[in-house]
Amino acid sequence: MSRALRWLIPLAAIPVLALLAYGFRLNPREVPSPLVGRPAPAFALKTFAGQPVSLESLRGKVVVLNFWASWCYPSCYEEAPVLERGWQAWRDRSVVVLGVDIQDTDDKALKFVRDFQLSFPNAPDPSGKVSIDYGIYGVPETFFIDKQGRIRAKHVGALSEEVFRQHVERLSSESQGAAQR
Amino acid sequence: MIPELGQGMLLVALGLALAGAILSAAGGRTGRPALVESAQHAALGVFALITCSFALLVYAFLTFDFSVRYVASNTNLGTPFWYRITGVWGALEGSIILWGWMLSLYTLIVILRHRERARELYPWALTVMLAIMAFFITIMTVAAPPFSRLNPVPANGRGLNPLLEDTGMITHPIALYLGFTGFTVPFAFAVAALVTGRLSDTWIALTRRWTITAWYFLSLGLLIGGWWSYHVLGWGGYWAWDPVENAAFMPWLTGTAFLHSVMIQERRRMLKLWNISLVILTFSLTLFGTFLTRSGVIASVHAFTQGSIGIMFLSFLALVVLVALGLLAWRWDALKAQGELDSVVSRESAFLLNNVMLVAAAFTVFFGTVFPLLSEAVRGVKVSVGAPFFNSVNIPLFLGLIFLMGVGPLIAWRRASLDNLRRNFVGPIVVGIVGAAVFYALGVRSALAVLSLALTVFVAATIGLDFWRATRARLRMGESILPAMTGLLARHNRRYGGFVVHLGILVIAVGVTGSQAWSVQTETTLKVGESASLGGYNVRFDRLDAAEESNHARVVGTFTVANGRQPAVMQPSKKYYPQESSPIAGVDYWIGLKEDLYLVLGDFTRDGRQATVKIQVNRLVTVIWIGGLILTLGTVLSVMPERRKAA
Amino acid sequence: MKPKFIGGGLVILAALGYMIYAGVTQSAVYFVTPSELRASPVTGKAYRLGGLVARGSLRWDARTLDLAFTLTDGQASIPVRHKGTAPDLFGEGRGAVVEGTLTSDGYVKATQILAKHSEEYQAPHDKNEAGYKELIKTLQKATQ
Repeated sequence: MSRALRWLIPLAAIPVLALLAYGFRLNPREVPSPLVGRPAPAFALKTFAGQPVSLESLRGKVVVLNFWASWCYPSCYEEAPVLERGWQAWRDRSVVVLGVDIQDTDDKALKFVRDFQLSFPNAPDPSGKVSIDYGIYGVPETFFIDKQGRIRAKHVGALSEEVFRQHVERLSSESQGAAQR
Repeated sequence: MIPELGQGMLLVALGLALAGAILSAAGGRTGRPALVESAQHAALGVFALITCSFALLVYAFLTFDFSVRYVASNTNLGTPFWYRITGVWGALEGSIILWGWMLSLYTLIVILRHRERARELYPWALTVMLAIMAFFITIMTVAAPPFSRLNPVPANGRGLNPLLEDTGMITHPIALYLGFTGFTVPFAFAVAALVTGRLSDTWIALTRRWTITAWYFLSLGLLIGGWWSYHVLGWGGYWAWDPVENAAFMPWLTGTAFLHSVMIQERRRMLKLWNISLVILTFSLTLFGTFLTRSGVIASVHAFTQGSIGIMFLSFLALVVLVALGLLAWRWDALKAQGELDSVVSRESAFLLNNVMLVAAAFTVFFGTVFPLLSEAVRGVKVSVGAPFFNSVNIPLFLGLIFLMGVGPLIAWRRASLDNLRRNFVGPIVVGIVGAAVFYALGVRSALAVLSLALTVFVAATIGLDFWRATRARLRMGESILPAMTGLLARHNRRYGGFVVHLGILVIAVGVTGSQAWSVQTETTLKVGESASLGGYNVRFDRLDAAEESNHARVVGTFTVANGRQPAVMQPSKKYYPQESSPIAGVDYWIGLKEDLYLVLGDFTRDGRQATVKIQVNRLVTVIWIGGLILTLGTVLSVMPERRKAA
Repeated sequence: MKPKFIGGGLVILAALGYMIYAGVTQSAVYFVTPSELRASPVTGKAYRLGGLVARGSLRWDARTLDLAFTLTDGQASIPVRHKGTAPDLFGEGRGAVVEGTLTSDGYVKATQILAKHSEEYQAPHDKNEAGYKELIKTLQKATQ
């Protein structure tokens, strides 16, 4: 084999490595839920502070709807600071972070909110209706809802800064009246 | 405090590993022993630090330190003591620390064993080992830090994945990782050989025992994984061609090829290029295996986690492959100079064919595993291939390999004469054909099963023939039979150790054949008092009970089983863990030599009056595990120190 | 290298290539969503179908072991039938993946229902209808 041709050997490995790298473009963490792309189910809740909040009232804003519970260790504990920081960074840009506390007791939930010093609205879902409507079968689950009230992404497990920013940036940059699809 | 200490230790270990790698390389380049000695001290330091760090992690687990995220994810207040220790390596961060710890231990052993005996190669081998360790410690400090904290501290943890509360799951990762990390050593010496240009047999002779040991632990890990899958998951199978399983199988296949082809290089100075390529491939596949398991790139029932770790692994894999292959290309001329194959009918040929088949099988498994990625990248269509693909291509290859197991050890080197062929093979072939007829007469109708069993008989006959001839030679010289036999084993432990390992493989093959061909299963719903039968067993549903344990609740079905002898009771259950979204099946089973009986509890009514149960009669599966034991004996025999010639 | 070795090598390569090709075409399974399957159904083809188990669609006959349900992705629904109990991670309103063939009657005959296991999560507590504490108590009372 000539002196030059031999270097083909290491180069031959590159296509295989490239193929493996291609696999990173697919992201199984974002569950392809049937709810994605559909209008978000309506809800009407009362926050722990006593304020009413409904999906309708949030129309025109990007909504990060996060389902959590105080007994959900450790994922909810990991993502609570992420949500709070996200809220602080985006609240002035028409983004709302709303936490829904499911299957919990109020005193444990309030302790959670206090411990993490959460300033975004959190509401309990006593009847469980909202979690059923959203097909929740584990915590935490987070839905990213656009300004027209459509669910655009669902994330299961603890939310990271990156994922939060990615989705919120994308949805915020869309204009209010944009007709998607 | 303690978690920060642990993480700090890992950081220092990283520095030491990097420094040691550089020092060792400098020592190799300049030939100054003082540099290499400093590198050795660095390696010792790394071992000490990782050991302490690991101990601190175990301590955090034992003391329920839920401020550490990893502890909170894998235990809760109800986790039993023993699983609090073994749970440490139950998930990503802990398993990486385990890997790193094993690497540091192996590095220490390399230092102790080889620093006197391989002056030229040793510094570079040490460099490679320390560099690889540096990568894994980087993962531990950057991508998957085991000591990251949670604030505020949760009152309780999530708990260990209930499927891991099992002895198989405790030992499986340890065996598998001992195997994976073990292949780092031959790889390190191969790279050292390439760098120094000393491409003769030194690096191979040095690493022979490492290769066998690593291969053994990999085999053990695969067998334990199969055993766990079989008796915990309750689907009656032990291998599903799942991507994660395939990831461990591929290095095993190429590792087996390497084990055999080095014998050719030792004897005939051939196949240098092939051997170097194989060891590079095997080590790369061990990295690929970890990449596949941890990156979530390919969908698998087992796939664990995701994130930046996948990218880091792929980058490191790319670096390793490109550097190693680059070195290989650089030394091309020296590697090509070698002897030629004299004849197709020779031991060299048989071994080469064995290698080709093993590499073909590894390629098949690789192709099938990445096929979903390939089809999506090329055609945009999401397709996958399942068990039928792997079975249809690999079964002929494995049957061919079994045949070669009989041919290889007995056929002559260079060129086998007709006489040599006649003496060695006519007898076993006849025995094999007779065996086929016997099985057919006994009622075996599956052509594949008959062929598989006949080949097994053939190979066993060749082993028996060889052993008998050698024993007879000793008897002629005046020895009595038992000392003759044990003397043979002791004097030629490499050869006979290999034979025993082959026997182990044959036994496993028999078990696989039997379980695939003759197992039966059924599923049925029974009211209290009703029975079902399968395979000679009569199963009667007696009652359903519910109970609460420390960290879960259970529903237990009681069944009375009879098969003509004394009836006995079996209790399959469903276990409900608070952290799991669905119950975990608790299979109950009877293990026997000829067959195993399995009961899996399915659906049941809330009044406890009716239950659906899956019954399986799995034949000859136990034989597979026995083959594993024989494999162990053979390996021990193979690695024993060579005896000097006695009387 | 002697020609007969090169020839032998090529033969082996060709044989392997053929076996792999045959294996792939025989056992390839196509991943589809219900909408994709509705758009271009091919009877007899092997599919891996993923979707949500539509609420109210689950029918289980314990005596005959017939399991029937509908998988939906919000736009299209596909009926599925399976013989035998579903794996434990299966239920209405949850995601499921089935492997099977499309029959001429328009439903997918599933040979396997695949369970997906996530480590990120925790399951909701007892108040859920799948809650086990209540189940345990009911059973304990019934089997006293």
